[in-house]
Amino acid sequence: MSQTMMILASAHGGPLFSIMGLEVNSITTTTWGIMALLVLVCTLVTRDLKIIPQKRSQITVELAVDTLMTFLGSIMGSKEKAMKYFPLLGSLFFIILISNYSGLLPGFGHTPGLQAPTSALSFTAALAIVVFFSTHIQGVRAKGLRYFKHFIDPHPLMLPLNLMEELVKPLSLSLRLYGNIYGEETLVASIFAMAPLFIPLPFMFLGIFFGFIQALVFTLLTATYLASATAGH
Amino acid sequence: MTNDAFFAIGAAIAIGFATLGPGIGQGLAAGRAFEAIARQPEATGDIRTLLILALAFMEALCIFGLLVAFMLFGKIS
Repeated sequence: MSQTMMILASAHGGPLFSIMGLEVNSITTTTWGIMALLVLVCTLVTRDLKIIPQKRSQITVELAVDTLMTFLGSIMGSKEKAMKYFPLLGSLFFIILISNYSGLLPGFGHTPGLQAPTSALSFTAALAIVVFFSTHIQGVRAKGLRYFKHFIDPHPLMLPLNLMEELVKPLSLSLRLYGNIYGEETLVASIFAMAPLFIPLPFMFLGIFFGFIQALVFTLLTATYLASATAGH
Repeated sequence: MTNDAFFAIGAAIAIGFATLGPGIGQGLAAGRAFEAIARQPEATGDIRTLLILALAFMEALCIFGLLVAFMLFGKIS
């Protein structure tokens, strides 16, 4: 069981090299690339911001961020709340979206050093653990010790069930994202092995759609967890 | 039959049945959501968000089946 989980969590090609005993595999290098891309785009776009945007890049990014924030605001109750937790939610959305789409680029998944990070369980599990801890920390920060009351909410007998629910949340979050992306990549790879010309195209188009939906679902669920953890009575 | 054959059949059964239930559930949920949108087009945004959330929860069950199938598939020597 644990051996199979290790295989699911690791990259296709195995470790490339190691830094001070830490293995660096294809997922890690691709994640570095995505981080560099995001940082580059953010610095270029925010270099000279105007109140009335003149540059096309500022307008595009502002539109994307504002649409996502309005959408999350409608989930969390108010746009102020969405804005408060937007550093976490927005980063999650954009890094997952770019990770999902990186698997569609040519060579990804076959070349050493290039693999979509979300197609390995270790990356999605790391994101889900971040969500797990930040939900509880933000809940305690918003409500203090009263936050722990929701574990015994209808009746103290519900405590084991409530604890289990909290533990299943990161598990299902990480498995959903990993399973969808890994399944989709495996599907495209096996269709490609059968008929390499034109036939994989509809499946890759489906991959574009599902990549967006999965990034949205991850962010949406994180937003609902945060909203329910910080909701005051 | 060898052990490998049992692993292969087990993986196929796992993913087959795991897609069955969520498939029916997602179909029912999507159908009702379309009915609701047809009856009340001004609530489209809210209904769509709730539908995506509900579908995501059902999707998770299917993914658990997929995971079990992968685990069994990995056991084939």
